[in-house]
Amino acid sequence: MTKFAVLGANGFIGTRITEMFALSEGIELRPIVRDYVSLVRASRFDLDSRVANAFDQQALQIAFQGCDVVVHAVAGDIKTILGTLSPVYQAAQEAGVKRLIYLSSGSVHGQTPQPGTDERSDLSDQQVLPYNNAKVRAERTLSKLRDRGGVELVILRPGIVFGPRSSWIINFADALLAGHASLLNRGEGICNSLYVDNLVHAIYLAAAQPAIDREAFLLGDQECVTWADIYRPIAKALEYELADVPEGVVAEQDTKQASSWFGRLEPVRVSKPIQSILSIVPHRFRVAARRAYETIFEPSGDSGPILPEHAQPVISREMAMLYSCRYKLPHSKASRLLGYQPPVSFPEAVRRTVAWLAFAGYPVKAGLRR
Amino acid sequence: MTTNPLTVGLVGCGAVTKLYHTPALQELERLGRLKVVALFDANLANISPIQQAFPKAVIVREFDELTRLAPDLAIVASPPRYHASQTIRLLEAGMTILCEKPMALSIAEGEAMVTAASDAQRLLAVGLIRRFFPTTQVVHYLLSRNIFGNVSSFTFTEGRVFKWPIQSASYFQDNGVLRDIGVHILDLLIWWWGEPEEIVYEDDAIGGVDLNCRIRLKFPQGFRGEVQLSREFHLPNTCVIRCDDANIHLDVDEPNQFQIEFHDSRYYMAGQLHTTSNLNKSLIIPGPIAADFHQCFVNQIKNVLSAIRGTESLMVPGEAGLASLRAIESCYSQRAMLDMPWFSKLEILRSQQIKDRQPR
Repeated sequence: MTKFAVLGANGFIGTRITEMFALSEGIELRPIVRDYVSLVRASRFDLDSRVANAFDQQALQIAFQGCDVVVHAVAGDIKTILGTLSPVYQAAQEAGVKRLIYLSSGSVHGQTPQPGTDERSDLSDQQVLPYNNAKVRAERTLSKLRDRGGVELVILRPGIVFGPRSSWIINFADALLAGHASLLNRGEGICNSLYVDNLVHAIYLAAAQPAIDREAFLLGDQECVTWADIYRPIAKALEYELADVPEGVVAEQDTKQASSWFGRLEPVRVSKPIQSILSIVPHRFRVAARRAYETIFEPSGDSGPILPEHAQPVISREMAMLYSCRYKLPHSKASRLLGYQPPVSFPEAVRRTVAWLAFAGYPVKAGLRR
Repeated sequence: MTTNPLTVGLVGCGAVTKLYHTPALQELERLGRLKVVALFDANLANISPIQQAFPKAVIVREFDELTRLAPDLAIVASPPRYHASQTIRLLEAGMTILCEKPMALSIAEGEAMVTAASDAQRLLAVGLIRRFFPTTQVVHYLLSRNIFGNVSSFTFTEGRVFKWPIQSASYFQDNGVLRDIGVHILDLLIWWWGEPEEIVYEDDAIGGVDLNCRIRLKFPQGFRGEVQLSREFHLPNTCVIRCDDANIHLDVDEPNQFQIEFHDSRYYMAGQLHTTSNLNKSLIIPGPIAADFHQCFVNQIKNVLSAIRGTESLMVPGEAGLASLRAIESCYSQRAMLDMPWFSKLEILRSQQIKDRQPR
């Protein structure tokens, strides 16, 4: 029986790994989180959960004892991405772990990869987005650690991981309900989607397959889908039409909306009391309320300096690049070496995701709640 | 007439003591109503921030030392699994007890606590703080007088991403969202309407504790309602009670504000509750805004102090705490799996197998 330590077990991906592995035969699981509060999701199960900060090598070493495989699923800022690598690798080494599976990202190839891009393509750490550069540097750092260490290293590069608890889904649903959702190019850009269950399946394969040390694998769903393909069913479930979602304008700087008057009002509009009311208000009234809100708060030409510069919703540079993608990253190497075939189809993945939204209290239309 | 301040011992110096009881006790100390004389926590590190607030209090290293010090009142705010044993020991030593919720982990434990209080002829109060909210008291008033006609249904949803500053993994031992938050809600419902005659309960515990749950209840008056709780998601933290003539809306985070949606009216009332001291006069002069969350903790302790002096009855005596324990036990005795529609068929099967083996 393979014993997994999952670092970052309270995150979106870590939670689903915990659920799937805890309910699988032949897997022993040890969720690891950074503090006691973060044990909350794993507390649903009777598991040997541990608390260890991913920067703390000594604590990690104790937490990894007896585990065969460590899955590094810690999400965070650049400091976290880069600062946790050495402690995790060294702790794994000291604890006698056989293999480290690192969740990198397809974005090491950029948000708009060139046609033909695959695992053999050169990686640059001089990209526009600091996140991409951090992930490239993380892969390089881990490779160097592997050169000196004895723990096998497998790098997974998932695309846009979505599903229950995913911020891609939550953010879009929240934006729709708050009346500031937006798209670019009607959402016709390619979304390199990866349903979270398919990623967990790939992690399982990456732990089991021999002779894949130091390999990196791009991962995606079987189908080639667009952003509209993901967002349309979410919109429909919440009784919106994707066609009604306006085109956004690309931010010159990502902080622009937050500094505008409109941006400063957002906490009010998306606040719990307002949202709790919105959640029980029928769609047609929500649309009317939104129009009223926009009449009051959106610019009307020469209303003075406090009004926002953009009437249209602002899209971050990262999202603008993602919405402009024209290439589906391949997962043929993962198919060949890991035997990866995504077990959950895209339509089923979307159905489950919409049903989860209902579970999480979103006002999902009757008939789509399961 | 001046009276000597009553003495208070704090048993358990974790988050609830630090965040809520300490500021309330400080305020009452300033008013000369009480004096905190003893602090106990099995983890000494927890005591030092509390001791800063009460520098004259004695740090008690062994629990039994408390019985020797014998303050007038002990506030038991330790982890729930210690509530029964600590409360009974302190009652036997002659103290009045304010025990944090949930008062115990089982009815048997709760009944033993109530019996111990009766045998010792001491008071046992349960820290079900929401009964001290001005809003819940007004709802009790409105419902008990049928002001808006009969109740037809209710919905109570409460969910937040769990951020309580816990200091041990043992917090989650036998302490799911139902015992943690649900006990408040069940207590309010029982206070308003009596004990439910039907309960249907589902949660998502799979060998551990419930993170999300749903309770469907039917009350003797004939109406039904639903409670949804989460430690994982933000839910609308509201209670909606639908009556013949109006719907009453409460926001659980606003102890002194509520809304009334009148049927067949174009008006909706959003109200801020104020205190008033001249209830019998035709001219009502609004007093200060009614208690906020912090002030409710002050009022809770004041109520126990007044009960010790014999000038008030306990707002939430031990017997009242037993009713919500009975409802919780009824829930767990028939727990079914909450539908988790993102699970595969195999996961549903495996999780059901694990749940079936879980103690009820």
